[in-house]
Amino acid sequence: MAKRAAVIFAFVVLVAASCGVIPGTSSGAKIGVVTDIGQLEDKSFNEYSWLGAQDGAKAIGAPAPQVIVTKDTADYAANIQQFIDQKYDVIVTIGFLIGTDTLKKAQANPNIQFFGVDQFVADPAPKNYQGLIFVEAQAGYLAGIVAANITKTNKIGAVGGRSDVPPVVNYIKGYQNAAKKENSSIQVAVNYVEDFNAPDKGQASAQTMINNGADVIFQVAGLTGAGALRAACTAKIWGIGVDVDQYNSLPDAKNCIVTSAEKHLQNAVRDALKRWKDKGAQGGNFVNDATNGGIGVSPIRNITPPAGLQAKIDKAIADMKAGTLDPLK
Amino acid sequence: MRQRIARRLSAAWRTASIPVLSTALALVVAGVVVIASSAFTGNGFQPLLPVGAYLQLFVGAFGSTTAIGNTLVAAAPLMLGGLAVGLGFKAGLFNIGVAGQFLAGAFAAAVVGASLATSTGIVAVPTAFVAGALAGAALGFIPGFLKARTGAHEVVTTIMLNNAIGFLLTWGVTDLVRAPGFSFPRTGDLGNSALPILLGRNLHIGVPIAFLAIFVIRWLLERTTVGFQIRTVGANPNAARYAGMSPLLVITFTMALSGLLAGMAGAVQMLGVIGFYASGISANVGFDSIAVALLGRSNPIGILFAALLFGAFRAGAPLMQITTSVPVEVIDIIEALVILFLAAELIVRRVFRIRAARAVPEEIATVTRTWGEQVAR
Repeated sequence: MAKRAAVIFAFVVLVAASCGVIPGTSSGAKIGVVTDIGQLEDKSFNEYSWLGAQDGAKAIGAPAPQVIVTKDTADYAANIQQFIDQKYDVIVTIGFLIGTDTLKKAQANPNIQFFGVDQFVADPAPKNYQGLIFVEAQAGYLAGIVAANITKTNKIGAVGGRSDVPPVVNYIKGYQNAAKKENSSIQVAVNYVEDFNAPDKGQASAQTMINNGADVIFQVAGLTGAGALRAACTAKIWGIGVDVDQYNSLPDAKNCIVTSAEKHLQNAVRDALKRWKDKGAQGGNFVNDATNGGIGVSPIRNITPPAGLQAKIDKAIADMKAGTLDPLK
Repeated sequence: MRQRIARRLSAAWRTASIPVLSTALALVVAGVVVIASSAFTGNGFQPLLPVGAYLQLFVGAFGSTTAIGNTLVAAAPLMLGGLAVGLGFKAGLFNIGVAGQFLAGAFAAAVVGASLATSTGIVAVPTAFVAGALAGAALGFIPGFLKARTGAHEVVTTIMLNNAIGFLLTWGVTDLVRAPGFSFPRTGDLGNSALPILLGRNLHIGVPIAFLAIFVIRWLLERTTVGFQIRTVGANPNAARYAGMSPLLVITFTMALSGLLAGMAGAVQMLGVIGFYASGISANVGFDSIAVALLGRSNPIGILFAALLFGAFRAGAPLMQITTSVPVEVIDIIEALVILFLAAELIVRRVFRIRAARAVPEEIATVTRTWGEQVAR
């Protein structure tokens, strides 16, 4: 009995040892993605960044990328390290919370390229770590154009997560400015709930705006915002999503989401990989904006777009590209 | 001599057989899920995929010194958390509040640690660690005291406290102790308060502390009067009271000690791995600890092995994902199945043809006990 156990154990160790060394024989670059908490198919940051990595790998002729889905924030460093140990050439990490560990690993591994989706890399930045950031104000501006053109009551609203988180404020400023520019008599109600995880508060906040006559609500508040969109659906008015096309990611609110102010995560990651292939190590921050297709609005859903809306959106994008339109003014 | 060893081994097997066989059965069933999910997602029918996946899981967990280090580091907070839950089971208490106590411990350790970042390590590390442990103990004391004083069921109070503490700490980190210079609310860097690395890349001093805790709690439960009181109260509070013990005191003490262990788990994870507190950090350890305690049959040595198993799953999962593209969720499935089979012992006994146990294990009894029962006053 003991002998048999020993033989089995020896066999397992042998097989394990032989599998432990994964040969890096493939000629192309090895690309690894470490996701943020949650699941891979989240119809949000994880999924679109992952799709971008797949597109990027294809574009630069690299083998299919691999992914490690993070289940616990304590695993960030270990998950990144796993790719380092397996001699990966490019590691993409997703979300701001993993940024701290990404920076540390980038400093310790100068020969590996790191990209951080939605991570702002502060100076002094390592030459091999690039944050992929987005100009939220431009996306918010486009959402504002849509809102101003579909409102019947001339009152629209925006529910923000926290007033001290710059991306949130920028989204909403762009939204406000666009609406005012489209229609100077429009009233824009803005409320910062100061909480990203309170759907009930988001719902209450949106409900107040609706009671005051608002018929379009833009949410920039994570889970809180999901509550705001729910209020919009219940009241049979329109909601505008944020970051990704929430028509897909929030099936609950599917029937009232008109559009979403989008960060084009998939393009951003794909283009980052191309930049790395063409120009070598990438550092600092890469700003994704209208000039490089980094931001936009989702297709109009649920309603027939008013005549000329698409033209207005296209014109705004063109002006942003040309640098003649500042969404923060 | 030989006979004695044989007798002890067979006694150990009697306790361990169901957990071990439940795990084996869970691996088999999860393997079927792996094959099915691969077939249904267009990756084709690969009957050997589970074998490859488990092999990579094993290599990722034990295949190198680094891998073993990762396993131990992942297991350390689970050992402490498992002890926290297991200790509660011994006294007939179901502490679901380990998640909250874990976060409280992590938060306190992070705040104290960051404030001592530039002090010498010999002062900073123990102070931050003790702060975390005490925060957990304080949070564990509340439901214990409430139960002893008012009879409020600890399952209800600890679940509610989990939510309360989560929101309280989010407020704390955003408005009270937010460190400047970061783009999101978090505590400052730990500096010298980080747990010293003993071996390799990440094997920190929290690992031996967790091992030590296993043996201290085992000693406490089996060799001290306090331990005897805890077990007696767990077995029968009325009898304990009749024997001159104070169940109320024992319950309060046990919950506080359970919270202390959970707080230590938080401190170990914070000072050894995470490094800063931010709203959104995971408290999975809190819930995995319940599974660990159940799998370990509330026995400290059992908890040690259960924590190592769960730690190995955690440490091995990344390599499994990279090399076989099997999704990490299979680990969740395995862990859930283990608990399912433990609770539905009959299935395991049928499959492996084992005779029925004489009594229901105490932790299963605690978990499934109705809430109507009142502790004697």
